Amino acid sequence: DSHIQYERVGADVTMKCGSMDWDAAVTWTANGTDIDESHLNGSYLILKKVDLTQSGQYSCYEGSSWHLKYQTYLRVGTPPREPLLMCRSNNYPKGFYCSWHLPTPTYIPNSFNISVIHGTREMVCEKDVFPKNRCHIRYLQLFSTVKYKVTLTVTNALGKNSTTLTFDEFTIVKPDPPENVVAKPVPNNPRRLEVSWQNPSSWPDPESFPLKFFLRYRPLILDQWQHVELSDGTSHTITDAYAGKEYIIQVAAKDNDIGTWSDWSVAVHATPWTEEPKHLTTEAQVAETTSTSTSSFMPPPTTKICDKGAVVGSGAVAVCWTAGLVLAAYGVLFI
Amino acid sequence: GDSWGLFTFLCAALCNLPALPALNCTEELGAGQSIQKTYDLTRYLEHQLRTLAGTYPDFNPPRLARAERAVPSATVDLDLWRGLTDNARLAANYRAYSGLLCYLRALDGQAGTAELRHRLGHFCSSLQGLVLSIASVMSSLGYPLPTSPAGPPAGPPGAPAAPNDFLKKMDDFWLLKELQTWLWRSAKDFNRLKKKVPPAVVTLRLEARGF
Repeated sequence: DSHIQYERVGADVTMKCGSMDWDAAVTWTANGTDIDESHLNGSYLILKKVDLTQSGQYSCYEGSSWHLKYQTYLRVGTPPREPLLMCRSNNYPKGFYCSWHLPTPTYIPNSFNISVIHGTREMVCEKDVFPKNRCHIRYLQLFSTVKYKVTLTVTNALGKNSTTLTFDEFTIVKPDPPENVVAKPVPNNPRRLEVSWQNPSSWPDPESFPLKFFLRYRPLILDQWQHVELSDGTSHTITDAYAGKEYIIQVAAKDNDIGTWSDWSVAVHATPWTEEPKHLTTEAQVAETTSTSTSSFMPPPTTKICDKGAVVGSGAVAVCWTAGLVLAAYGVLFI
Repeated sequence: GDSWGLFTFLCAALCNLPALPALNCTEELGAGQSIQKTYDLTRYLEHQLRTLAGTYPDFNPPRLARAERAVPSATVDLDLWRGLTDNARLAANYRAYSGLLCYLRALDGQAGTAELRHRLGHFCSSLQGLVLSIASVMSSLGYPLPTSPAGPPAGPPGAPAAPNDFLKKMDDFWLLKELQTWLWRSAKDFNRLKKKVPPAVVTLRLEARGF
C-alpha cells in the first residue's frame, strides 16, 4: 500500500511502519538501501531536518519474514513563495495575457489558479497548455476607466501563496518588437544606411491603432547610441554614419498614444558603402594608418574624395576641405 | 437651493455656446486636414491634462452610485466601436466633450489657487477649441450637430450633487479620469476617420452645395 508524502525542507519526519506496533522488529530501506538502526525509534523511522537529497522511496519490511509492510514516496520541498505575475497587451485592442512563475522552485508539484475581475464582472482567462504558465483574456469593452484585478494563487501540498495585480487597460499595452529589420548600405553614399522593418505580426490593427517607432544605432566601436523617433512609416535612412564603420541597429515600437515601448528588436549589422580602393600604398594612407587602432577600418584614398583626376601621391599636399573634414572626424574618433 | 438653480442656468448658458454652426473658414480646409487638426488637439489636451491633473496610477476611490451624468462614458463594446458609422463616431465625441467642458467649467469655482484657476481656464479654452473643431469636421462632412443636453441632469432642485465635499472631490477625480480616457479614445476614433475620409470627396460635396 504505497502513497506519497510531502514534507518541508528542514522538518523532522517520523514514518510509521503501517499498522505495526512500536516495538515490532522492522527494517527500513531508502531507495532499496538498508537504513541504519540509529535512525530508528522502535519501528518508527526518524529523519531529522530533511533535505532535498532525502526524497525517494521508503519501504518498511517485517523483521523475520521480510514482508513489505509499508511503502511511501517521500517528496521533500517547500511551500510556494509569492509568485511573480505579469500582464501585458501585445495585441491591443484584442485582449491581453498574464504570465507567472515562482521566484524559487518548490521541488514538488504546484497548481495555479487565476482570477480576472473587471468591476463586478469575472472574466475567463484561457490557459495555455501545461507547462506554459500563461493565460489569455479577450477584451469585451474598450476605453474603460474601471481597473482590472488579476489574482494568481499557487497551491501545493505544503502551503499556498498568492499575488494580485490591479491595472488600467492602457497601462499594460506593450507591443512586440518590430520584425524583419533590414539595414542596407546605399550605393555611392558612404555615410548612409537604409533601414526598414515591419509592424510586429501580433499587432492586429495598425490602421486604427498605429505604431510609432524608435530607432537606435551606433558604430560597433563606440558605446554611445544615436536615437531617432519616427511617428510613421516603417523605414528610415541614416545620413550621418561614419564612413566605413560597421553599425549595429535596433528598432522598438509603441502604440502612438498609450502604453509603453516594446523591447528592442533583434540587432542588425551593416556597413555603409565604401568605394573599392584602387591603390593601397599612397603616402597619405601610410600617414593615416599609423594612428588607427582597428584593423577593419580602411580609409578611402584622399585623392579620390577631393579630385578625381589628381595624381596618386599628391593627396597629402592637396588643399581639399572634404579630406580635411574626414580627417577631423577620424581624429575625433581616435583621440 | 438658489445656488443650484443658478449653477444649472449658468451651465445651460455655457453649454449652448459650442452648438454654434461651423464658421465659413472651415470650407477652406478639406475634412482630411480638419480631422488631422482635431487629432492633434486631442494629443495636446492629453498632454495638458497630465500636467494639470497629475497621474495617480494606483488611486482607485469608490465611485458614487448616482444618476447618469450628462457625460457619456468612453467605454464601449469592442465590436460596436469598430462598427460605428463616421457620423455616430463624431457625434459621440462631440457629445462627450460638450458635456465634459460644462463640468470642467463648473470645477473652476473650487480651484484653490489663482494659478490653478488660470491653468484650468486655459484648459477649458483648449477643450472648447476641440469641440468646435469636431463641429467643423461634422459640418464639412454634412452631418448634423447633435443637440447636447444642457449641463448636469435635472435632479430635484435643491438636491445636493454629492453628500459631502470629500465625496464630490472623488467624483471629480472620476470625471477627469473619464476625460483622459475620452482623449485616448478620440485619438483612435480620429485615426479611423483619417483613413476613411478622402479630401477629394469633401470638395465635391461642398461644390454641390454651391460654396
